[in-house]
Amino acid sequence: MRKGFAGLLLIAIIASVLFSLRAYNKEPLYHSQSYVFGTLVDISIYGESEQRAKSLSNQVLQDFQRLNNQLHAWKPVNNNQPSELGALNAAFAAGKQPIAISPQLADMLVNTTALSVKSHGMFNPAIGHLIGTWGFQRDEFSAVVINDEKIKALVKSKPRMTDIVITNNTVYSNNPNVKLDLGGYAKGYALDMAAHYLRQQKVKNALINIGGNIIAIGQHGNKPWRVGIQHPRKPAAIATLDLADGWAIGTSGDYQRYFILNGKRYCHIIDPRNGYPVQHTQAVTVLIPPQPGAGVLSDVASKPIFIAPAADKAKAAANIGIQYFMVIAQQPISQRSNGQQPNAEQSNILVSPALAKKLDWLDSDVKNNSHVKVLTLR
Amino acid sequence: MLKSLRSARSIFRYLLPGDLLTVILSMVAITYLFQTLWSHQHASKVQIRLGDKIHATYDLNLQRDVHVHGPLGDAVIHISQGKVRFAKSPCHNQYCVHQGWLTHAGQVAICLPNQISLELIGEQKPYDSLNY
Amino acid sequence: MQIQTTTDDHRIAKLAAFAIALHMVEAVIPSPLPGVKPGIANIVTLYVLLRYDFATAAWVSILRVFASSLLLGQFLSPTFALSLSGALLSLGVLWLTMRLPRRYFGAVTLSILAAFAHIAGQLMVVRLWLIPHASVSYLIPIFAVAALFFGLINGLITAKLLYNKESNIVLNKSGMPPL
Repeated sequence: MRKGFAGLLLIAIIASVLFSLRAYNKEPLYHSQSYVFGTLVDISIYGESEQRAKSLSNQVLQDFQRLNNQLHAWKPVNNNQPSELGALNAAFAAGKQPIAISPQLADMLVNTTALSVKSHGMFNPAIGHLIGTWGFQRDEFSAVVINDEKIKALVKSKPRMTDIVITNNTVYSNNPNVKLDLGGYAKGYALDMAAHYLRQQKVKNALINIGGNIIAIGQHGNKPWRVGIQHPRKPAAIATLDLADGWAIGTSGDYQRYFILNGKRYCHIIDPRNGYPVQHTQAVTVLIPPQPGAGVLSDVASKPIFIAPAADKAKAAANIGIQYFMVIAQQPISQRSNGQQPNAEQSNILVSPALAKKLDWLDSDVKNNSHVKVLTLR
Repeated sequence: MLKSLRSARSIFRYLLPGDLLTVILSMVAITYLFQTLWSHQHASKVQIRLGDKIHATYDLNLQRDVHVHGPLGDAVIHISQGKVRFAKSPCHNQYCVHQGWLTHAGQVAICLPNQISLELIGEQKPYDSLNY
Repeated sequence: MQIQTTTDDHRIAKLAAFAIALHMVEAVIPSPLPGVKPGIANIVTLYVLLRYDFATAAWVSILRVFASSLLLGQFLSPTFALSLSGALLSLGVLWLTMRLPRRYFGAVTLSILAAFAHIAGQLMVVRLWLIPHASVSYLIPIFAVAALFFGLINGLITAKLLYNKESNIVLNKSGMPPL
C-alpha cells in the first residue's frame, strides 16, 4: 500500500512539472498583420519582447506607408497632391523639362533601368499607360472595353526606361509616352528596406511578408522559417520550402489581379511587346539567395519569366540571373529536345533543378501525379 | 499472478506463423494510416482578422454564419462541417468568395479591399507565411 | 403444412441464438468510445466458419444482425445499417481469407482481417450517410487499432475453443484440429 502511494506521488510530481514546463514553452513569436495601401503586410519577429517587436513592426509599417506615398502610381496622397512619382509622370508627359527628384527615387530609376535592360525589356516599368488602359491602375478591376487601336498605338510609342535621362538628381524623358508604374518593384524595394532596418536594429530573427513577397532574417527559433507557395487555383499552398537567412521569395500570378471577360482571364501582367496581358502562364515563383537587393529581385525577376513564352522561359531566367524558379502554365509544356518530337512527358509545372531540390509538394494532385507532373530542365 | 501469466503464454501458442505475419502487417498498416490521416493538419478553429486586429476565433464544429463589418461593408462567413468560406462580400472583384472552402490548418482566404482575412488554425502550421 | 427442418437448420438456429445472446450482453456493457466494441459475438461466427462451413457462418452472422436489431428495437435504424454493412463486408473478407493455407493462417488471421473489414464497412456508411464531416477520417486509425486488438483476442479465444472442442481428435502437426 505504501509502495503504491509513493508511485502515485511520483507520477503526480512528474505530471505537474511537465505541465508547468508547457507554460514556459510558449515561444517568443510576435506576429502582426496590417493592410497598408491595399497591400497585406505580415511581420513575424522571433526572440524579442512583445513590446519591442510591436514598436519595430510599427516602424516598418510606417516606412512602408511613406514609400507608398512616394511611389503610388495613381492615387493622389495628402491633400490630393500627387505622389512624387505621379508628379514625375506628369512632368514626363509635359515635355523634356528636367525636374528635380529625391536621391532615393533617382537610385530607384537607375536600378530599374538596369534591370529592364538585363531582362531585354520584358520588365518594363515605363508602360504605365498600357497598365492604365487595361484598368489595372484602380483599386477594383472590372472588365474594360478593349481598345485595340489604343493598345497598338501605345506599344508603337515604345516607352522605355532608357528614354529617361538622369543627371544629378534631375530627370527628364525623351519620350512623353513614358509613364512609370513601379508596381512590380516597390514591394521588393520595401522588403529590402524593412530587412535592412530590422538588421540595423539588431533583430536576429524575423520574417517579412509584403503583399506575398517574403524575405527571411535568421530562423524560427531552432528551425528555419518555412514558407508556403500559393496554388494558383486553390485556396491552399501547392508546396512549401525553407527560407534561410537572407533568402527572398516572390511570385507573380494571374490570380492576384485580374478580370474575366467573355470567359477569358485578363491579368495585370502585360507583355510590353504586344500590349496584352499574358495568358499562357498562371504563376511564376523565383527564389533569391542572399544578396543586396534580394527583395527587389524577388519582385522584379518573376515578371520577365512570366511573360516569356514557354520555350524561352529558361533563357529569360538566365538573362536576369535567376537560378531558382518555378513556372505553372495554363497548358502542359512539352519538353522538346533539339527541336524534335516532344516526348510523352507533359506537365503544367516546370521547375529548375536547383529549386526542385528545395520544394516539398503539398498538393495531392501534384504528389499523385494525376494530371500535373514536375519537369526539370536539363 | 504467475498462473495468469502461464495461461497467457499458453493461449499464444494458437498463433500460427501466418497469424504473426498478419499481426505485424496490420501494425504497419495502422502506422501508415496514422501518418497519412493524422498528418493533414487538423484545423479546429478559424481566426477572423479585421484590419490589423484579431476580430474573433470560432470553433469549426459549430455550424454558423458570421457577419463581419469591414470598411467596405458587411461580409458573411459560413462555418459548416469543419470548413469555412467567404459566402458574401461587398468587394468588387469577389476574389475572396471565389477562394471557396478552406479545410486544413494554415489555409487562408483574404478579402483585401474589405481588410478581412480568414485563417484555419490547427495544432501545427505547415508554414510560417504564404508566398503569393 | 409443416416446414421440414434439417439437423443443419437446428444447428444454425442454436448457434445463431448463442451469437444473439452474446450480442445482447455486449449491447448492455457501455463502451469507452462510440463504435468501439469487443465484438464477442463474432467469435461464434468464426467458430462456425472453421468448424463447419462458410454458408453456415453466413447464416449465423446475418441472422444475428437481424434478430438483435429487432430485439433491441433498432431494426432499420442507422445502427442496423452499421451492423449490416460491417457484417456483409467481413463475411466477404472471410470468404476470401478462408482460401489461405490453414497450416499457416489460423483463426487469428481470419478474425483480424474480418475485424478490419467490419470497421471499413461501418466507416463507409458513416462517412457517406450518417456524418459527412471531413473529420471522420481521424477516427479511422483509432478504429483500426481497436480492430487489431479485439480481432487478435477474439481470434485467440476462437482458436482455443476449437482446440478444446476437438481435444479428443488427433491434432495435426501445428496443434490445430484437422479440417
